[in-house]
Amino acid sequence: MAAEIEGPTDELAMKINEGFRINWMNMRDARVGKVLWEQQWPEDWKTQETVASIPKEVMKCREVSRELNFSSAEPIDKFTMIQRVFVHEVCTEEWNFDFGFVIPGSTNSWQSTIEAADEQDMLEPEMLSGNVLIETSFLNGDTLINKSVVRIFYV
Amino acid sequence: MGLLSLLRQLKKSDGEARILVLGLDNAGKTTILKKLSDEDVTTITPTQGFNIKSLMHEGFKLNVWDIGGQKSIRPYWRNYFDQTDCLLYVIDSADRKRLEETGDELSKLLEEDKLAGVPLLVLANKQDLLNALPANEVAEGLNLFSIRDRPWQIQPCSAKNGTGLQDGMEWLVKQPGTVRQKATVLFLCIW
Repeated sequence: MAAEIEGPTDELAMKINEGFRINWMNMRDARVGKVLWEQQWPEDWKTQETVASIPKEVMKCREVSRELNFSSAEPIDKFTMIQRVFVHEVCTEEWNFDFGFVIPGSTNSWQSTIEAADEQDMLEPEMLSGNVLIETSFLNGDTLINKSVVRIFYV
Repeated sequence: MGLLSLLRQLKKSDGEARILVLGLDNAGKTTILKKLSDEDVTTITPTQGFNIKSLMHEGFKLNVWDIGGQKSIRPYWRNYFDQTDCLLYVIDSADRKRLEETGDELSKLLEEDKLAGVPLLVLANKQDLLNALPANEVAEGLNLFSIRDRPWQIQPCSAKNGTGLQDGMEWLVKQPGTVRQKATVLFLCIW
């Protein structure tokens, strides 16, 4: 199993995909609301692997929030996101979120706050750097809009 | 205090709760939510869609939905009513000219079947401004005293300096009932 990049095949999904973009993502130390990492998203994220260089100190935070900012020209009825995390090509985590309706011409954000694993369960950032892939699928109901991949480096 | 550290104090549960935050544009909805997470509130721009905050702890999920309040976006509010456990309605208390407009929008919301019986907390925001209407006058202007079909409360607050937000929660904790309890416990969590 590996992370994949994939485009839509359905006609409506193609139209949605055309007008859909990720603007930026960031990560914060959720205990103090401080931004530790923020990145504008590259134009070619739908076709090329995106590289994210995240400061190592993120791994020391007990609570981290991740925020995704995206825009859609088209309305989307049942917008869903599925994310899978691959470490050394093994899927270690999967989560999803149902957004439901997306307003045409809108810019939206989703911030998710998560707790860090217990310290003894944490992997070393040096071990993980470059070996963590996050695969994100955006769907309308069951129909794929796009599937993209981010490679994480801890710096 | 972090949001999750508060969630952590709860008993384990697989519950899920949804809080819907509405109000006119420039009322301060996004600022309130950011202030609650100790985030910088100096560069907030008008919301052109939704902002969601999701918190998770041991299978327990809280989703707070903040939807843009501009006139062009309001017709889409109804897409976000489903399964709402609590409605948070934010008022710019200093915007006297639009008190009637925000009252009309609130009245429409209170008539929605999908929001029937959902507890209502009105935040009379921007009390730090000199020309802000006091909460009782906002309540009067919004005709809140005629609400009979749900628990409601009005709370003066300032998203800018954080005052009043905690007090709004005290009322919610006192509300009986399962759904309400779920919503109020969760409210405590985010504060």
